[in-house]
Amino acid sequence: MTINTFVAGKGLLYRFDPRAKLLTVVLLCIWFFLPVRLVGLYTVVGLLILLGALNTGFSHILKTFLSILPMLLFMVLFMPFNVRNGESLISIGSFTLITAEGLEQAVRLAGRFIGITYACTLLFATTVMQEVMLALRAFHLPYKAGLVVTLAFTYIPFIAESFSQIAESHSLREAESEQGKRIFQRLKDLVPTLTSALVFALRSIPNLAMSLELRGFGGEEKRSSFKDLSSYRHPFTHTLLSCIMLVGFWVLFRVK
Amino acid sequence: MQNALSITNLSFTYHSYGEKACERIFDELNLQIKEGSKTLLLAPFDKGKTTLAKIICAVCPKYFPGTLSGNIEVFGSDLATVEPWQLLSVCSYVSQNPQEQFVANSVEEEVAFPLESLGLCRAEMQERVDTALKHWGLDRLRTSSSQELSGGERKRVLLAVTEAIDARFWILDEAFDDLDQKWRDQLKEMIKQGNKTVLVLASRYLAEFDTLFDQVLLLDEKKIVAPAQEQLLCRFSQLCQDDLPNPLAAQVCTPPSVRQLVCTDLIAERRRTSTLEEACFKVEVPHFSLQSGELITLVGPNGSGKSSFSRILCGLDGYLHGAIKVDGTPLSGKELSKKVGYLFQNPDLQIFLPTVNDELSWSLRRRRDLKTEEIRKKVAHCADLFGLSLSDTPATMSYPLRKALQAAVYYLLDRPFYILDELDSALTYHTALTIIRDLRQHGAGILLITHDKQFAKRVEQRTYSIEKGRLCEL
Amino acid sequence: MQQNRNALKVAMVAVLTAVVVVFTLVVRIPTAKGYLNLCDVAICFIAFTFGPWSAFIAAGLGTALADLISGYAQWAPISFVVHGVEGLLIALIVRQKGNEAVSIFRKLLAGLVCIATVSLGYFVLSALFISTASVAAAEIPGNIAQSGVGFVLGLGVSSAVKKAYPPVRSLSW
Repeated sequence: MTINTFVAGKGLLYRFDPRAKLLTVVLLCIWFFLPVRLVGLYTVVGLLILLGALNTGFSHILKTFLSILPMLLFMVLFMPFNVRNGESLISIGSFTLITAEGLEQAVRLAGRFIGITYACTLLFATTVMQEVMLALRAFHLPYKAGLVVTLAFTYIPFIAESFSQIAESHSLREAESEQGKRIFQRLKDLVPTLTSALVFALRSIPNLAMSLELRGFGGEEKRSSFKDLSSYRHPFTHTLLSCIMLVGFWVLFRVK
Repeated sequence: MQNALSITNLSFTYHSYGEKACERIFDELNLQIKEGSKTLLLAPFDKGKTTLAKIICAVCPKYFPGTLSGNIEVFGSDLATVEPWQLLSVCSYVSQNPQEQFVANSVEEEVAFPLESLGLCRAEMQERVDTALKHWGLDRLRTSSSQELSGGERKRVLLAVTEAIDARFWILDEAFDDLDQKWRDQLKEMIKQGNKTVLVLASRYLAEFDTLFDQVLLLDEKKIVAPAQEQLLCRFSQLCQDDLPNPLAAQVCTPPSVRQLVCTDLIAERRRTSTLEEACFKVEVPHFSLQSGELITLVGPNGSGKSSFSRILCGLDGYLHGAIKVDGTPLSGKELSKKVGYLFQNPDLQIFLPTVNDELSWSLRRRRDLKTEEIRKKVAHCADLFGLSLSDTPATMSYPLRKALQAAVYYLLDRPFYILDELDSALTYHTALTIIRDLRQHGAGILLITHDKQFAKRVEQRTYSIEKGRLCEL
Repeated sequence: MQQNRNALKVAMVAVLTAVVVVFTLVVRIPTAKGYLNLCDVAICFIAFTFGPWSAFIAAGLGTALADLISGYAQWAPISFVVHGVEGLLIALIVRQKGNEAVSIFRKLLAGLVCIATVSLGYFVLSALFISTASVAAAEIPGNIAQSGVGFVLGLGVSSAVKKAYPPVRSLSW
């Protein structure tokens, strides 16, 4: 199972300071909720996509869009029917099907959805997980929390692989072939695999705790840090740049 | 000069979760190790050597509940008053199972983690990490995660960590095992030349041990003894039950019907994923055959395709070209799985029920054609055969018993063919051979996979070897 | 003597978070919301077997990470809140000293709370931040089904694991 969100590349975004990137994404998400004209919203989304294309390539964009397509379609198709007040655009007889407001709202929400999702995806695609954690630590995330996330990422592939091996091992053990069973029976059959998988995962908890302590974790002494973000030399410049751009877009496109 | 390690009157029993109390592991054990000396402690599998190592590092009974009595001092400090992290620069432990000791996402970070705990400055950490990685040939694997490494590479990472920490006392549990010859020699050099106190725990006497140690000890009947050189190896092989007659020698196998598993012109492709290559790995089998009652071995180095081939043979993976036939009918997928049983190397993949009785009867209960009384009889007979107690909890049984349980489960499934993946790792030869003998009771044909040539010799039947995906008969 | 449990807490929460992520991403049935999955099974299991804090952090962090990894970033904070609270509440309701069985009444209450938290939580937060009330309402039936099934399976799996692996009783936070 792949959990790697990072896409290797050489663009501008990869050299952008991770702390600035993190702050930018948060501010961007807030920006999308501000009252801006639709044109402005989509301009920013378009620019984001362009930025992404220059850095990670088109195939990555395509993949991201395909994965959010179901939700997007649902929103776009379902929503306009539900806003009742306002001028009607399409109507059958005296029954209003779609209103202009409804359409506008649907398009706006879709744009916001694409924007926020893509901004976050771009952040994780251009920043190695380790540097994201370091950036969070720079914003005063406690060490233990960062350690929990790092360890979780270490164990996800391990547990996922053991899960698939356990599922295979249980299927090898089946005496009869299971074809076309009712869903209730299928769920009941899932219980042995889930139990084995959970017992397997739980056994690694004392071992992990033991290893952490053997490697020196647990006392109250201060720890030093092997990696840091000193290779990024312009955190303030980058942050300032993002802030100026976002404020600029707000001023340009806000609803008067 | 104080002793590096001083243990007096140590007794330890694991906490029992069932009605039966656990057996005592150590009984008034004494051990003295001088600073700077190199000691070898031999003990057969599952007699407590890993427990002893964990006790010395102060993580047992903290994480492995049990009752401990006695006095242990490491460089003069009493372990009862010390937390494991305080022993970081004093005592390093390399586990037998590398996977359980990994705490970081990449090799580089793994080596750096304990150095961060020591509070070293970045420049010094960088230097120590670089030296250690280069010394153990891990430089190009710096950013790989532990999932992508082979067993030998993982062991080397742990050894690199130990080297970087540079503690005074090293405890190496089966450290020579997964390593190739080149690295074994390097480890031997390192132990010889350094001024560290080293304790090596082993369950098989390897040639490398000959001129290396000042002191060779034996864990005999819950105590540590230091017999004279000539009697040492003799007593050790007695403890490993190596002197007992080969269980297979006396077995006469008459299968009720002779079945044939034949593989012809098989070609399959496996995609190998790693950060380094995305190469396709080809498995080629010109001819392979296994008959009921036969016992054949498959040997090959790590990464040569043994597991890939076995997965294809039992129907878990597909193949591109060729055929696998049982009694003349080509089979694949689920149908093939019903004829060929595959015992994974890790027995814990199937354990999910509270007692041995439940585990063994589970598969039988799902067959509609057996009555409850019949099931009970079969289960009792099977447990007897494999030396299992019906009311034990599988998840807390010892490793050899869990392996025996795995074999027992498959025995009840009564498949005509079995593939045993690395059965001999972490088991004495005698136990492994006994399990094979029990599985053959009904005349099943067995394919044994191993990378231990010594073990293959004891089995002495047809051998296939596999290298870089290509299988051929020896 | 050895009472410092920092490492154990970190190890527990990390592994349980990984378990939630794996359960969320392993089985996926695409629907309008995103996907139906087994995350509620994992969350209920953790709530029944471990304590309130582990349940809260593992459930919230696990589902948020899963959302981030699979590209549904906008749901990450919502999942964190909804599932975190779900884990916390269930664990608090079934919390028990000693080994006696939890009463049926408490289990039912926990089940209702689970279903209510997930469906209402997602409804309210999605309506506010992602789409409109009507669209968010369409997801309610799916969420009720998923959390209900998850609760029942979680209960079953929890008792099975406690019997199969007794040492788990000493791990609780």
